[in-house]
Formats: sequence, C-alpha cells, structure tokens
Amino acid sequence: MHRTEYVLKRIAFALMTVFVAITINFLLFHALPGSAVTSALRSPHASPELRATLTHEFGLDKSLFQQYVLYLNQLFFHANMGVSFVDSVPVTATLRTALGNTIPLVFVGTFVAIVVGIVTGLLSAWRRSGVVDKVSTNSAIVFYALPTQFIGMMLILLFGAYLPTSQMRNEVENFFSDQSAWSNLVDIGRHMVLPALCLALTLFGEYTLVVRSSMLETLGEDYVLTARAKGLPQRRIVVAHALRNAMLPIATLVALSLGYIVAGAILVEIVFTWPGIGRAVYSAVLDRDYPMLQGAFLILTLSVVFFNFVADLLYFKLDPRIAQ
Amino acid sequence: MKTTEPALAEGTALEARPSARGNVVVQAVKGRPSALVGLVIVAFFVFVAVFGSVLAPYSATQQTGPVYAPPSTEHWLGTDDSGVDVLSELMVGGRTSMIVGFAAAFVAMIVGGGIGLIAGYAGGKTDGALMRVTDYFLVIPDLVLMIVIVTVFGPSRLLVILVIGLLLWTATARIVRSQVKSIRERVYVRRARSLGASHRRIVFQHVLPQVAPLLIATTVLAIAYAIFDESALAFLGVGVPGVSWGNMLEHAFERTAMTQGAWWAFVPPGLAIGLAVIGCYLMGQAIEDALNPRLRVAHLSIKSWRFRGGSAAPVAPEGSAQEPRP
Amino acid sequence: MSLLEAHDLNVWFDLPHEGTLHAVQGVSFGVDAGERLGLVGESGCGKTTALLALMGLLPPNAQVSGRVTVNGEDILAGGEDAMRSHRWTDVAMVFQGAMNALNPVKTVGSQIVEPMRFHDTADGDAAQRQAGELLELVGLPASAAKRFPHEFSGGMRQRAAIAMALACSPKVLLADEPTTALDVMVQAQILDLLESLTRDLGLALILVTHDLPLVTQVCERAVVMYAGRIAEFGSVDTLFHDPRHPYTRLLFEATPDLSGLEEVVSIPGSPPRLDRPTVGCPFAPRCDRVFEPCAAHLPALVSVAERHRAACHLNDEAYARPPRPTETPA
Repeated sequence: MHRTEYVLKRIAFALMTVFVAITINFLLFHALPGSAVTSALRSPHASPELRATLTHEFGLDKSLFQQYVLYLNQLFFHANMGVSFVDSVPVTATLRTALGNTIPLVFVGTFVAIVVGIVTGLLSAWRRSGVVDKVSTNSAIVFYALPTQFIGMMLILLFGAYLPTSQMRNEVENFFSDQSAWSNLVDIGRHMVLPALCLALTLFGEYTLVVRSSMLETLGEDYVLTARAKGLPQRRIVVAHALRNAMLPIATLVALSLGYIVAGAILVEIVFTWPGIGRAVYSAVLDRDYPMLQGAFLILTLSVVFFNFVADLLYFKLDPRIAQ
Repeated sequence: MKTTEPALAEGTALEARPSARGNVVVQAVKGRPSALVGLVIVAFFVFVAVFGSVLAPYSATQQTGPVYAPPSTEHWLGTDDSGVDVLSELMVGGRTSMIVGFAAAFVAMIVGGGIGLIAGYAGGKTDGALMRVTDYFLVIPDLVLMIVIVTVFGPSRLLVILVIGLLLWTATARIVRSQVKSIRERVYVRRARSLGASHRRIVFQHVLPQVAPLLIATTVLAIAYAIFDESALAFLGVGVPGVSWGNMLEHAFERTAMTQGAWWAFVPPGLAIGLAVIGCYLMGQAIEDALNPRLRVAHLSIKSWRFRGGSAAPVAPEGSAQEPRP
Repeated sequence: MSLLEAHDLNVWFDLPHEGTLHAVQGVSFGVDAGERLGLVGESGCGKTTALLALMGLLPPNAQVSGRVTVNGEDILAGGEDAMRSHRWTDVAMVFQGAMNALNPVKTVGSQIVEPMRFHDTADGDAAQRQAGELLELVGLPASAAKRFPHEFSGGMRQRAAIAMALACSPKVLLADEPTTALDVMVQAQILDLLESLTRDLGLALILVTHDLPLVTQVCERAVVMYAGRIAEFGSVDTLFHDPRHPYTRLLFEATPDLSGLEEVVSIPGSPPRLDRPTVGCPFAPRCDRVFEPCAAHLPALVSVAERHRAACHLNDEAYARPPRPTETPA
C-alpha cells in the first residue's frame, strides 16, 4: 500500500542520514591534526590503563578503515563515545546527564513559544491589520532579530535581583539529604524560569510569523468561503476548516525546528550557566575536549534527524493527500 | 526561509530582461513602508561600515576612559570593561559584522545559487545527487558544525565567513532549484531549445535574469542570518578576531556587565545586531512579497461587510431605479 | 412575488488606497421555483459579486445597499450574523472549480453532513443516510462519502459539491461558473444534472457564466449585465431573436457558430472603470449604435415587451432613432 511504502522510505532516509552523520563525525575528528581520541592519549589525566583501553577499543594503531569499523562497533554495541580529555569520564555518561538537564528546559521553553506563537499568529490573522496584528507581528520580528544571548543578558539585567540566574545548585539527579524532593523541584523550577523565558522569547517570533502567514493563506481558500456559505458559526469555520488546514505547514515547521532547538539552546545555557548539553559543547570548545565535542555533535545531529523524521510522519498523518 | 515560487505569468516572460533586477527592488519598496524602513536601516549600516573608522570619535581598541563609565558627554555610550569607548567600538565593530554578514551571504549566494541552478537545469541524476547532498547538509545543526570547524582549524575572519556561508547555501540552493525547474519548462525556453540555442545561452539569457530577483531576496535574508550567526560564534569564543558586535557582547558577558549594571556595554551591540537583522529581514521579505503577491482576500475575518445608507447611483436621471419584474 | 428577489442591489468595495469601486449598481431581478435563470456578462461585469451578495458572502471591505428577499422576507437586512440561519437552508451555492471548494482534509460525507448538524436538520445516522442518498441523487455511489476530495475527478467533485449544496433542502441554488474548469463532455453531464434537479426538486437555479451558449442551452431566462448594471433581461429565446440592447446582440454575434458560415465579431474596447462614476450609458464607448442621448444620459431599465426589459435609449420613443445598420442580426 502507498502508506507503508512512504513510512518505510522515510525510515530508510532517516537511517541513511544517521549513518552519514556518524561517518562525517568520524572523519572530521579523526582526519584532523590532534584527533579526538589520540588527544585523549596525550591528556595528563590519562592513566596507562586508560591509554591501553583506548588504544584497544579504538584501534589507534590500525588503519583508518579499521579504526572506522571499531568506532562503529564501539558506538553501536557499547555506546562508547570515548573518554573526556578533561576529566577522563566516559563521554556517554556525561552527555546523558547533560541531555537530561537540557530536555526539561527545552521542553518548557518550546512549549511556551509554540502556544504563544499559535495564539498570537491566529489572532493576528483573524484581526488583520488591527492593533493586535501590528503589535504581535512587530514584537515577533523584534524578538526574532535580537540575538539570543542578548535577550538572556537583558533578562539577567532586569530580573537578576528577583530570580536565581547562576548555576543550578542541585543537578537533577542529586538530592541533598536535608532537602525534600519537593523543595528540590521548586528550586530547579525557580532556576528554570529565566532561561526558559529566554528560550521562549527567542523562538516564539518565528512561530507567530509562520502561523500568521499560514492562517492568512488558508483564510483565503475557497473551502473557507464554502464553509461560510454553509452558514456555519465563525468559530467552527476558523477552527475546523481554516486552522485544521493551516496546521499542516505549521506542524511540520514546528517539528523541524525542534531538532535545531537543542542546538540553539547552547546560547541560553551559556548565559544562564545551565548544565545541559549546550554548556557541555561550550566547555568542550574552551578546553579543546575533542571526544566530548565529537560526542555532543553526534547527539545533536541525531536529534535533528529524529525530529525531521517525526515531522515527516506528522505531515503524513495530517494530510490525506500525501499517500499517492 | 520559505520556499515560494513567484507566479510570473507566461506573457511577461517575453519581456524578461536583466533590467528586471532594479525594477524589483523599486517595486518592492513602493507602497510598502516596511520595506522602506528596511532599506533605510540597511543603508545606514552600510554607511557606518564604510565610514565607521573615520567617524569614530575615539580608538576602538585603546583605552580612552575609565572602566565601565556610564554614558556621558565625552563618551556618548560610555566605556566598556577595558575603558574603550563603546560608540567607537560599535562603529568599527559594525564594519566587521557587516563585512562578515555580506560576505557570508555572498558565498551562500554563489554556492547555493550555483548548485541550485545546476540541479534545477540538469535534472535527473545530477539533480537527485545534489539534492541528496543538500538534504544531508540541512540535517546538520549549523551552529554546532561551525563551532567544531572553527575550534579545530582555528579562528580567522575568512574561515568564519566560509563556514557561515557554507551552511546557509542549502536553503538558497533549494529555492533556486525549484525556481529554475519551473522556468525551464516555460514556453519561451523550450522554444529557444528547439531552435538550437546552446545551454549556456539559455542559462545566461533566459534563466538567470528570471532567477536573479528571487536570489537577491534570499541573499538579503541570508545576510540577516549571517550577522546573527557571527554573534553566536563570537559568544562561544570562536568568532572573528578583532572588534565586532558579537565580540562586544561576549566581552560584556565575560566581565559580568549585567550584574554590574553596565548596560551600555552590551545593549548597543545587541540592539545594533537586532536592528541590522530587522532591516535585512524587512527588505528581503518585501522583495519576496513583490515577486509572489498574494492576491487572495480573506473570506473570513472579525470584521464584516456593512450597509451603506443613502442613494446608490452616482449620476442617475429620474426613473433609473430598476424594479423587479411583475 | 417570486421565490427569490433582489431589489436595487448595490455593492461597493473600499479600495486599498483611496476611493471605492462600485461593482454592482442598482441590480434587481427575481427567480421562481423550478425556474432556471442565467446571469451573463464579461469578466468583471459584477455578476459573481451580485451572486455572492444574494447570500451576503462579501468581504469586509464591501458595502451593500438594497434588499434580498426569499418568499418576501428580507434576509439581508440583519447583516452577516442574521444571514447564517438562511444560508444553505434557503439559498445554497455551488462554486467554480470544486477542487478548492471542498476541504481537502475532510471526507466528502462529513462535509455533506456538517451543515445538517449545524442547522439542526438531521443528525447522527439519519444524516449519514441522507448524505448517501444525496450522493446517489447526483450520480455518485453512496460509498463516496468516505472518500477525500482529491480522490475524485473534477466532474465527480462538482457532483459532490452539488450534493453538498442540497444538504439542507434549499429553495434556491446558486451556481457560479460550475462547469468552467471541466471538459466538454463532463460539462454537459453536470448541466443535465442541474436541469433535472430543478425539475424534480422544484429548485430555483441562478447560473452565473460568461459562456453564452451554455445559458441558451440550460436556462429559460437570462439577465445580461454590463459594468455592474443590468443591460437587458428576458427569456433566452427573446434575447436571441429580438435583443433590445446592442450589447446583448453583440454578445450573441461574438459567439462562434459551429457551421463556420458566419463571421465571428468581437466587441472592441473594454468595460469602463468602476471606481469612477460614469456619465451616460456605460456601453456608449463600445456601442455600434450609439447616438446623441447616450453620452449624457444613463438609460433606465424599462419594459420593452411582456417580461422583457432593456436599458437602452434605442427603445425610448422619445428619441429619434438612428437608421439601422445594413447588417441585421441572425
């Protein structure tokens, strides 16, 4: 059937892309002067045992192709991305923690941005050229244009006195014995307000503009006129006819952008010293911690591939015309 | 960036000439105040970029005042963490940021335009292969790749320009490609082919002029992205060396200007970047809109039609009122 | 009194920068149950706008004056909100090119059932059943209800659109160029369908088109519009054999005849701009029988025969008529 064929094609493409990303990753870091894993060997922290393990695991004494195979082997069967140049902790472990910190932040920020974007975009299209439209559109453009780090710095300047902005006291997994789980949660929450707000402000602009133009496009379609001719109440027409169709491009765009947000959160995490994957990238850059950088790059690429795939499926589900 | 195909009518195709380029910009600006604003902003920044170092009141690198001095009559925008005049930094830094922005967008235009042109014109396997490559590039998160490359190869202005440009080309390529594809099928192109015109001739005389306006619109938008990306790279410590808006923000952050209340150290560059991006965005958007006018009327809106009181016919002698038939 | 009547209908559109466009000027006509009325004219003559105005389907920048009555009740008076209850239940519409007129993400059946639910004429299983019956009435299988619009050909989609229009048993059916986008064979089928529906269901039909032969085929009476005004109206036969407005005559002459024996005449020039008030007869610049009163006086729509009206000074005995040209119409 057409449908299964489509899904299979998309899966195949996603897997191909993952494979290409991994290969690029490998080549980039191995074909360079001072390659990732060999740098680890030169690290002052690397013990002889570690050196031996790494040499064995990644076949540093073998040919490039054999190294490639071993790399894939380590990656797929052992989830081993090497060891940090800086602290000799396995990259996979550090990144897992970091990712665990980033995801809630990104989730909250993006959710707020999407909701605000849809509401303002809808209202702007509906009350075209009105005050609501002008304010929404202009503020969307302004926040879209301002650099993320600048928005973050402004938030610190304005609200730093009221909300904690510096490093999270408690990591998500750690619990001090004298702190209850609830107060930990509250603490994390308070720390998350400004960075999540920063992320939301950075993102909503694009969503507002997309929703608005998509809705305007849809409101001009003939089937909206038909719906109106049928004497249906306005709310029904806007939601069941216009919005339902406008959601197609909106949903795919949102899903696609999700992939990049994890990377885009880098700036937010730096400004607010949030211990997430973005921050890990930053530290890795500062310390020239190649294994960490390589691992983070791979994770971020994979997230984009994953969300692209989700976007494809979503579009497929929403639009009955696709299965042809 | 949206991928829209301009709806050029078949008839106008016969008049397509390279001069269409200038006309599009004029057309875009006419009757669109937002475009005019964009143009003014961009022109202003270009002016500053060119004459910045001459007009700057003080040195942009040497200390000329106390550290973190607030705005005053001597230093209109105060001084930064090293006592350097912020206004001067802003003007000189603007030059760097603008150069990087324009150059990177230019790279994206050449590479993206070239690839899009080839893919769209050649079609078939070449097209498929090129698009495959583009798809893979699209998937890689820009910022991270930039970081990785610059980290590994070391920062330099040229490298940053190349890196930003090479990541922006994908969107341009796609847009150009779909545009070229539709142009290729136009009547006059097929006619030219059947008359034996060489591919080279067709491309330069027919395809290129038609693609140019859209390419320009896309490139202008790319400038906006490039300026943005430059500041992001700078913030991560892998930006262009020297004075730039991105670096000003980075220094301010490093030296905790926010907590010290020295807003003048980061607000001007932040706003400058925002303004430059807005200017490019408005211009690019206006050109794109001019090429692809959306003539649709919304069939539904909060407002509705209304009754008009009074007589209807403008100049009507007596007895012109038409009655229904008996 | 007719089933549906338009009384002195006027529509203005506010232009983006300055001024208004007077798209429909003082239009009045009526249609009876079971009657098929054509509304013809060039592009831009206001026929579609007039049709949309009958259901109040105008954009926000429109201003309206006049009345639209169904069985004597003015349905336009209450504005957009009050119109809703009359839409689809009294007057329904079939649009041009059902490609976009049907919502692509909803099944055909759900789109037929929808107005039934919202106008409380049927619900649940009864509505589904009725939808199936309507589909069969227009020549589609009842199973088509589960399909999406893109799965049908143009002609089938148009049939579905007609079925949808009949969902709440309207008294009047409006059709705006219903067959323009279809090929000739399918066109004929759709027109036959419309004809049989008006006969069997006692519907009144108002058909807007620029295709004159179509009107002569399907309609009994026709309204000829020019520059927002009615030029002439009467039965199709009379308009063909005894047109009393030069525009009507030229329209028929401009229609190519398959026999190829007659020369095709085109009407040179173009219609006047509607954003400025016209002085005199709007057709005067292009008229082949223009004479002295035409430039200064707007002709009134007057009766020239039983149920035949025209707006032309040539019919007014008060003026000395110019000699007829040597060629006479067929």
